[in-house]
Amino acid sequence: MNTMSTPPPFDPELTAALDMFGAAIPSSISADMIQGMREARASMPQPSDEELARDGALVIADHTAPGPEGAPDITLLVARPAAAAGAIPAIYFIHGGGMMFGDRRLGMPDLGDLALELGVAIVSVEYRLAPEHPHPAPVEDCYAGLEWTAKNAAELGIDPARVIVGGASAGGGLAAAVVLLARDRGGPAILGQLLVCPMLDDRNDSPSSHQMAGLGIWDRTANETGWTALLGPARGTADVSPYAAPARATDLSGLPPTFIDVGSAETFRDEDVDYAVRVWRDGGRAELHVWPGGFHGFDGLAPQAALSQDAKEARLRWLRRLLGG
Amino acid sequence: MKELAGRLSALDPDAGAALQVIAYFDRLVEARAGLEAIVRGAAVLAGCPARLVDEERHVRVRVLADGSRGGTATDRWQEVDPGWPVGAAPGGAARLWLEMPGPAGPVHAVVLERAAVAARDVLDRTRGRAPSRDDPALVELVLDGTAPEQARLRAARSLGMEVTGQARAVAFAGGDARIVPADTDPGAALPGRRTGVGPAVPVRDLPASWPLALLALRLAADGTDQDPGPRVVVYDSLGGLAALAAAVPAGADPVPDVHALEHAASAAPWMLATLHAIAYAISLRAAAAQLPVHHSTLQDRLAHAEHLLGWTVRDPEGRLRLQLALTLRRLHRHP
Repeated sequence: MNTMSTPPPFDPELTAALDMFGAAIPSSISADMIQGMREARASMPQPSDEELARDGALVIADHTAPGPEGAPDITLLVARPAAAAGAIPAIYFIHGGGMMFGDRRLGMPDLGDLALELGVAIVSVEYRLAPEHPHPAPVEDCYAGLEWTAKNAAELGIDPARVIVGGASAGGGLAAAVVLLARDRGGPAILGQLLVCPMLDDRNDSPSSHQMAGLGIWDRTANETGWTALLGPARGTADVSPYAAPARATDLSGLPPTFIDVGSAETFRDEDVDYAVRVWRDGGRAELHVWPGGFHGFDGLAPQAALSQDAKEARLRWLRRLLGG
Repeated sequence: MKELAGRLSALDPDAGAALQVIAYFDRLVEARAGLEAIVRGAAVLAGCPARLVDEERHVRVRVLADGSRGGTATDRWQEVDPGWPVGAAPGGAARLWLEMPGPAGPVHAVVLERAAVAARDVLDRTRGRAPSRDDPALVELVLDGTAPEQARLRAARSLGMEVTGQARAVAFAGGDARIVPADTDPGAALPGRRTGVGPAVPVRDLPASWPLALLALRLAADGTDQDPGPRVVVYDSLGGLAALAAAVPAGADPVPDVHALEHAASAAPWMLATLHAIAYAISLRAAAAQLPVHHSTLQDRLAHAEHLLGWTVRDPEGRLRLQLALTLRRLHRHP
């Protein structure tokens, strides 16, 4: 493998935004940085319930659900357009954060846009984080939350036949894993999976992972830290479950319609493209967007950039098609 | 960016914010971002709509505070409010407005200034140098082969040219000169004046393009009945005519065919335009349509012309002889 290849350039607008905030977000993250980064995030102002509710346009509530067998309860944040009546579709959302960071409120401001635009409910699950809670704790928490959502759909005002599972980054990987679990365990019906720059492959050895070393957001060092937190010494060995790293799945048939997007200038590019290709090969439906010059999570860091606007629009259009069909 | 925009309004005089603004636009320029990205940067960082207008180049870009494109069907262009802060880069024709009540605070002033400079550079790079930047002394220096190369390149840079690119020297009747980027349409330069366009060359070699632009200018016509022909002549398309032009210096004696042409021209006001049409039209019918005269009228005129010239202009040899006579007449006319 050519480890010295020239990385694709970042999009001009994105690179300017990355420079502006890059100092606060190191490309490489090692295990000894986890605690400091958690504290830094905790000290940042978070949107209040009132802000998330958008002047009452959304009804926000926390729900407690039983965790996996023998594990603690989990909390789910449910947001529902106040104007919506009856059973509406839902996006079951799994937040990102490299398996080590984040909570159920992460990403909620953008999801609020989707909820109002599409008239859907958002159910955002808070799962236990690695390294304190290695695999399978995170994915089983997410799966338990999905089962609870399906079982309580009537009380939540959700149409159980129209639940989309989605997530970004580590949450995208967990979403893909939850969808595989649902398929293999005969679990809840899933209308589609929305995988935003998903973290899928613990082997961390694709050309893009080498190409982007030390660059942009979430390089291969950070990726190794995240996967090692989740899997310990098993990371990269033959002993990794597809429910931990969905790229390990050998059969991607029988999945619901899949949306995958990723930047051309990020670690996950090749594993995400490969996942879409394998869905097609196994006879499935997938829509793949590779945004040129995008770094990991570019639309969150530079939401105004032209590329970010287009990426968000593409997700919205896919969701509209899925929900309209 | 959302966060920074928030900081800008909260901490206006903050030097750190100003430095970040400068770094942001520097990075856009370095990465060769387009105009819209620059206007979007101004809008988002300033937290209000921003618009860029360059009337000379017919450029209008408007971006809203959330980064979305303005100027769409649902977002009509409002009149510019004289109270809005406005910026313009030195030597640039474009103006950039922040659509907010003025005057601009210190950081907003930095946004305006940096965005205007960045926009000017993009406009110069992508739309060609603005006419207002044709300093005759600088153009003269760039075209002067006796000046040191360094001085010529410095002058080219001052004119806003990419010194690593290619350009053409352009000569106008009356002695004016201009330099245009190689990838712009040379024929688009100032219609109405006789224009000769030199070959595209590296900027450092422009002194070699200049004499060829002058040579092409000699073959450009006024485009009138007394001097029919193209007003703009590009050297590249001359082929062997360039050798002909070089062989006919100013003051040389005209060959007898040129005298015959002048003799014919003095007989009728329609003569030269008719002969030019015959020489270059693909058929008699096309020539008649172009003039325009009836086909039979044209036949009558040609019989008269051939009688005065002393050769037929209705076969290929005669047409070539006529083309050469017309070309030579132009060379004598424009020494």
